[in-house]
Amino acid sequence: MATTRPRHSAAGTQFLDPAVLGRIGNLELLARTVVDGFLTGLHRSPYLGFSMDFAEHRPYMPGDDIRRIDWKLYARTDRHYIKLFEADTNANFSVLLDLSASMSYGSHSLTKLDYARYLAACLTYFSNKQRDRVGLVTFDHEVVDYVPPSMKHLDTILHTLDRVTAGRPGSLAEPILRITEMLSRKGILVVISDFYEEPDAVLSALGPLRARGHDVIVFHVMDPFELEFPFQEASGFEDLETGEQIPVIPGKLRSDYLAMVNAHLTALEKRFTDNQIDYRLLDTSKPLDAALFEYLLSRERLSKAR
Amino acid sequence: MNLAFLVPLFLLGVVGVVVPIVVHLTRRQRRNVVHFPSLMFLEKIPYQEQRRRRIQHWFLLSLRALALALVVAAFARPFFDQSSGTALGSGGPREIVVLLDRSYSMEIDGQIEQARSEAEQIFAELGPLDRASLVTFSRGADVVVRSTSDRTRLRGALDTLTVGSGATRYGPALKVAQTILEESTLARGEVYLLSDFQRNGWTGDEGVSLPPGSSLLPIEIGTEQEPDNLMVADVSLPRQIVAGRERITPTARIVRRGGDAATTVTVSLDLDGQEIQTREVTLAPNSAQPVQFQPFTLSQPHTTGTVRLDDDALGADNSHHFVVSPGSSLGVLVVNGAGGSNDPSLYLRGALAISDDGRFDVRSRRSSTIRPVDLDGTAAVFINDVLLDGGSAERLRTFVQDGGGVLVALGQDGGWPASAADMLPGTIGSIQDRLQGRGSTLGYLDYEHPVFEVFSGPRSGDFTGARFYRARGFTPSDSAAVIARFDDGSVALAELRVGRGRVLLWTTSLDSFWNDLALQPVYLPFVHRLAEYLGGRAEALPWFVAGQVVDLADPEALETAGLVSSEAAGLAEGLDQVALSPNGGNVTLPAGDGPRYLPLEEHGFYTVRQPGTDPDRPFIIAVNVDLEESNLGRVEADELALQIEAPTVVDDGSPRLTQAVELQREDQERRQSLWRWLLVAALALFTLETVISNWVSRRGSGAAGALAG
Repeated sequence: MATTRPRHSAAGTQFLDPAVLGRIGNLELLARTVVDGFLTGLHRSPYLGFSMDFAEHRPYMPGDDIRRIDWKLYARTDRHYIKLFEADTNANFSVLLDLSASMSYGSHSLTKLDYARYLAACLTYFSNKQRDRVGLVTFDHEVVDYVPPSMKHLDTILHTLDRVTAGRPGSLAEPILRITEMLSRKGILVVISDFYEEPDAVLSALGPLRARGHDVIVFHVMDPFELEFPFQEASGFEDLETGEQIPVIPGKLRSDYLAMVNAHLTALEKRFTDNQIDYRLLDTSKPLDAALFEYLLSRERLSKAR
Repeated sequence: MNLAFLVPLFLLGVVGVVVPIVVHLTRRQRRNVVHFPSLMFLEKIPYQEQRRRRIQHWFLLSLRALALALVVAAFARPFFDQSSGTALGSGGPREIVVLLDRSYSMEIDGQIEQARSEAEQIFAELGPLDRASLVTFSRGADVVVRSTSDRTRLRGALDTLTVGSGATRYGPALKVAQTILEESTLARGEVYLLSDFQRNGWTGDEGVSLPPGSSLLPIEIGTEQEPDNLMVADVSLPRQIVAGRERITPTARIVRRGGDAATTVTVSLDLDGQEIQTREVTLAPNSAQPVQFQPFTLSQPHTTGTVRLDDDALGADNSHHFVVSPGSSLGVLVVNGAGGSNDPSLYLRGALAISDDGRFDVRSRRSSTIRPVDLDGTAAVFINDVLLDGGSAERLRTFVQDGGGVLVALGQDGGWPASAADMLPGTIGSIQDRLQGRGSTLGYLDYEHPVFEVFSGPRSGDFTGARFYRARGFTPSDSAAVIARFDDGSVALAELRVGRGRVLLWTTSLDSFWNDLALQPVYLPFVHRLAEYLGGRAEALPWFVAGQVVDLADPEALETAGLVSSEAAGLAEGLDQVALSPNGGNVTLPAGDGPRYLPLEEHGFYTVRQPGTDPDRPFIIAVNVDLEESNLGRVEADELALQIEAPTVVDDGSPRLTQAVELQREDQERRQSLWRWLLVAALALFTLETVISNWVSRRGSGAAGALAG
């Protein structure tokens, strides 16, 4: 596991192993575990330096970060108080989660949808900690659930994520167009999908979001079997979304398949980069910290841009 | 001879032969299904299924089809029909019963072989639909093979046929034949009676009636000329006590039937298997001579003896076997009163003392009291003209209840205490004189009673000469049996069973004061019989006759059979017994509560013992042949057949005949059992096909679907 970690990995990120996370039933607990553990491991990292203004004190509660105890106030009052700051961004943060049937695929203990749910929960929790207004939109070939961005919607979002299922055919254009209409205020949009569409079609679907001024971060979730195609026996392959079945001899097809997938990924990355959309390919067998780092980097970049 | 099928409907299953072809041509190749998120990167690759559209291995396909066809044919139960209608044309199938005489007279001039040959001829001429039974008989009948058309079984049964030791009885065999024919489904019945047709075996009232459509066909075996036959008709074994030892003087009666001139024969006596004496006797044709041997001392129990003649045509009656054991004396107590000058027991003691074989151990007591010690070793008690006290009567009650016997003789002083009146068979009355004329006589004797049984024959003892002048009145109770009465109807002798014993009451005296019976010749045997009956002694039989049965679980039967030591026969409770027959066969008699019947079917000596033991003097039972069979006079076979003629019927093609034909078809199929061979062949073909197809599959691996099926 250590050899496969991204360069940003640090102590404590073992909590981000998807297989471990899969055993945590509660999404809030999962998000708290991941994010707090992740942040603890990064306590010397410069990425915590968002500018914040002091807002108020409140009594220390067990579980609060002790670094935020106001020791001077303690010297005066002999009581522990936590210093609360008001974030300077206070932006809208929304997760756009693909629920198409292809997201239900998983070659190991976690499906792509599970991985996407964990990721969405973690990012939402993390953003909520940053005092962002958090929202959620799930879609397949139409919008399924919509939780408008709000400081108070963390629980609603986690609950929604907890019960989402994938089973219907999906497409990007129609639901993204609807989402564009719904999210009128600019914000940070995280799109989590497997993007089984042609790159041009994907970009044309997400383009309007960028055009409306949203900061778009794209996480492309792929199963390792989709990336490596390790099948051996001649079998009938059935499309999870359309139900179509075709006979396949994998040995004969593997090289062509891998070439086409790599071309697809490369095209997507190029298209997104050209349109100033942060793109990150996520392997569901890899830890979540890569995605979190990607998000932090994006926030940092956005923060500096402001 | 045509190939036919018992269940032709199963032949429809041959349609199943096309199943492998259809399966081959229509079966889709099995493949796994993998669910995949999207097929947008996968190109479609079609399978080369067109190769399955043609058959490549015709040989394998033929093997499978042939194997299936064989299985179908096996289920249809094929057979070669050998009937061809011949049996039906001659009046329908027959139920044939062969009654074969195996009485010991069939050993004369190889008559049994002749009978066997005749039976084989009958079985050889059986039609394909005929059925036959083999029944052997002598005194009884044994069904050796019942109603089959399997000639091999019938011939095999004939091969094991031997001459028995029994006498001829036609009745049981004909009854068996009647039963077989009545239960048969065939239209016609034929009974073949193969015998030497001895007249003694036919009484004429056997009550045999063969069913309609049946006939009796007698086949006479042997010649009518009666052979010159010698036999040991009887052996008497009188005993004497000489110097305290028991001696037996055997006397044999030799009988000659037939013959033309006088002949001299040698008669030998064997004891315990050793020849000890021989005598020569000259016999005229159709005559008899006694042969007396020198006496021998009997010292061992279960001593076997055989009186033997030279061999002749009928050998079974040339020897006579017997078993004798030393006798034991019977303890008799004679009690009479102490007072008076006359001795009322003078004649009684004298009669009991007269015995060649010392069978009675007589003790006397002159007292009105019986001590317990007096009853030790005593089996019979005579209370002669004395009135006992109550205590003695109670001791006698216990004695009788335990199996002893008491006779109360009532004289001038005789009587019985009132406290034990229930022991007597009635109530004693007053003295009654019979002085009219010349006194009274015995008018009624129960000759079936063991006491008088020996006097039942002519010149066996005359009680009518005895005069009775005085007797006691007696009123018998309801549970009593009156054995003898005077000519006026009053009771002379009565009996009452008490417990396991018995009490007799003689209403007059046993001396010469009230009657003169003691002066009559019959007095001595009468007293002896009284003592033996009271003591419960059974007469041991020195031999049995073939065909009799002994219950080895019955003590009385064993005593009759001459058993003197229960250990010798291994008669301990809860143990098995085994009887070794004269021909060396074993008859196991398992232990149990029920009877253990030992049928005595062979002549010679049966040895009975516990399995695994070898006692010095085992319990032996001698068995001799029934001499009725030695009388070789014949009955007319046709006359016998006419007496049991059966009504005839006309075959009208009834359902019974059809059913019979169907049964015969089943029987033919069962005997041929072709279906077994077909199944074996099918299995072999399937195995061969598997081997070949695996070989072809390995050779052509990678080319899926290349095989023929």
